[in-house]
Amino acid sequence: MTMLKIENLHVQVGTTEIIKGLNLEVKAGEVHAIMGPNGAGKSTLASTIAGRDDYEVTSGSVTFQGKDLLDLESHERAGEGIFLGFQYPVEIPGVSNLNFLRTALNGVRKYKGEDEMSAGEFMKLVRAKASDLKMDVDMLKRFVNVGFSGGEKKRNEMVQMAVLDPKFAVLDETDSGLDIDALRIVSEGINAQRRDDTAILLITHYQRLLDYVQPDVVHVLADGQIVKSGGKELALELEEKGYADVA
Amino acid sequence: MQEALFENYEKQVWELAGIVPGSEGVRMRALKQAVKLGLPTKRDEDWRYSDVKFLNDISFSISKKPKAIDVKQAPLSQDYAARLVFVNGYFDEDLSDYAELLEAVHVRPLANHFTSNPDRVDELVEGGDGVALLNTALMIGGMVISVPANTAVEKPVEILNYSTGTEQAASHIRHVLEIGEAASLNIIEHFVGGAISGNYWNNSVIQARVSEGGSLTHQRVQEEGAHAYHTAKAHVSLDTGANYSCSNLMLGAKVSRFEGHVKVMGEDARATIDGVALAGKDQSHDILTNVRHMVPGSTSDQVVRTIADAFGKTAFQGKVIVDKDAQETEADQSFKALLFDRRGEANAKPELEILADDVKCSHGATVGELDEKAIFYLTSRGVDPVTARQILVSAFTADAFERVDDDLKAVIAEKVAQWMTERNIG
Repeated sequence: MTMLKIENLHVQVGTTEIIKGLNLEVKAGEVHAIMGPNGAGKSTLASTIAGRDDYEVTSGSVTFQGKDLLDLESHERAGEGIFLGFQYPVEIPGVSNLNFLRTALNGVRKYKGEDEMSAGEFMKLVRAKASDLKMDVDMLKRFVNVGFSGGEKKRNEMVQMAVLDPKFAVLDETDSGLDIDALRIVSEGINAQRRDDTAILLITHYQRLLDYVQPDVVHVLADGQIVKSGGKELALELEEKGYADVA
Repeated sequence: MQEALFENYEKQVWELAGIVPGSEGVRMRALKQAVKLGLPTKRDEDWRYSDVKFLNDISFSISKKPKAIDVKQAPLSQDYAARLVFVNGYFDEDLSDYAELLEAVHVRPLANHFTSNPDRVDELVEGGDGVALLNTALMIGGMVISVPANTAVEKPVEILNYSTGTEQAASHIRHVLEIGEAASLNIIEHFVGGAISGNYWNNSVIQARVSEGGSLTHQRVQEEGAHAYHTAKAHVSLDTGANYSCSNLMLGAKVSRFEGHVKVMGEDARATIDGVALAGKDQSHDILTNVRHMVPGSTSDQVVRTIADAFGKTAFQGKVIVDKDAQETEADQSFKALLFDRRGEANAKPELEILADDVKCSHGATVGELDEKAIFYLTSRGVDPVTARQILVSAFTADAFERVDDDLKAVIAEKVAQWMTERNIG
């Protein structure tokens, strides 16, 4: 079953076209990796899927489970089951992680027509997920990402993903800035989210994440288009020869 | 122009002197001084950010005491020590509830004070500006609350100032607070305008003296009518180890201004003045603080946050004076403003006059917009945009509410959220 389908997508940021006719189809149960050099448009693609409104889609379509995503606002896309793991998670002084996460979860539940989750139930869920990701719950009482190290921020992203349990996660360089232990923990978090009824789009510079999270399909993104697709061996080839030779 | 105004105000002085015999001396001294100084205009440095035109354009009448009126305003704090209700500046015995407070504390109407303690009332004639002087000349009501030594009034004393909002009516209110040694008082002032109120003017002055080791908490919530003018001053003096903690929420009125003047006269005394002002279309909110450290080893702190929507205007003028002898003073000041719209306006003028050489003083002022990246982060996780903005605004204002009583904090947070919703900001 097709989860995400992107056809001939063109995206402009300011007056510059970044995505220039991109096509992509991801089916349920699949993990796709998108690799590519800096400036290829990887993060723009991720933010466009999540609905950042200063990124202007000039033509093309993005559908999610048959629904036109481009018609929905960012929070509605989250309600449909889209999750974006940020390359640079935002620090928000004055807002606690727990408060934010509970508001987000209840926002998603409200969108789906479900009742709010009680504070007790929510804490139970968060404790379980935080423990899976070796994250101290006390850290979640602190302000969103304020004073967190790079690795802690990324683990926090994974805790949020686990609690929100999205159908489709776009993870934008979730592996960057992680040491080997943190990479393993984050990878376990991603693998836990890998199911028959979910799909994951990994955006990464490096092959090493793909040792832990084995992709079904690897794409090479260059200058706003997918120029090559293949199996996981493509990632190895890229690592060896560089983008210029492969793409 | 002001001549005609003052002729009108002089007539009012004589009317009021007839009502409160013995008050004419103080009133006339104040009025003469006001005539000499004139009413503030934009040319006065302290008033340059305010829309003070109204003071010069409108010849206000003295507000009238309405006949029996049922004010259905719920108290801000459910658990209060007393509730004093003023309607159009006049004390309303029937609506008030303060019998219990009388057991511990002296509470008497200001009128008695005029004759028994004129020096205290007179204090503001020297050094007051035109607005303070007009308050002295034309005051119609107020309370004198004296808390005896070693008496702690734990629960708040709520003072509701309700205005029916007659066009061009002015209420000049004066409260005098005397906090004895090691005594404490917590007052909540709530200013509310009736639903169909006009361009009335509420001009309030509080004079407070906090004796050694005493504490005064002063929490203000200003929700005047949309066309109203609101000016308020607190003049506070602190003895050794005394504490004054003031917080403000400024929501209502067309033009509003709060001034906190504190003389720190005793060592180890502490003064804090915090405020949040939310200015919608055509509103102007000012906070002016003037804290003078006169002796060594005292502290002060001001945390002010303002938000201006399109055509709204806010200003913070914070002056800290550290006298030559006031070594080891610690004074901090933090001002942050948010603009929801590029057509909003925020002004900041921190002023430090430091004559001592061994002090720790800090100040910071920033003006910015809501962080779009933070909004996208929140919404991408499923928080709707209106809630996302509310979350960020409540985080923004939180620092300035930190010293507010917990249950009042909840009420205030609700009012801020309501303000956001009314403006459909999201």
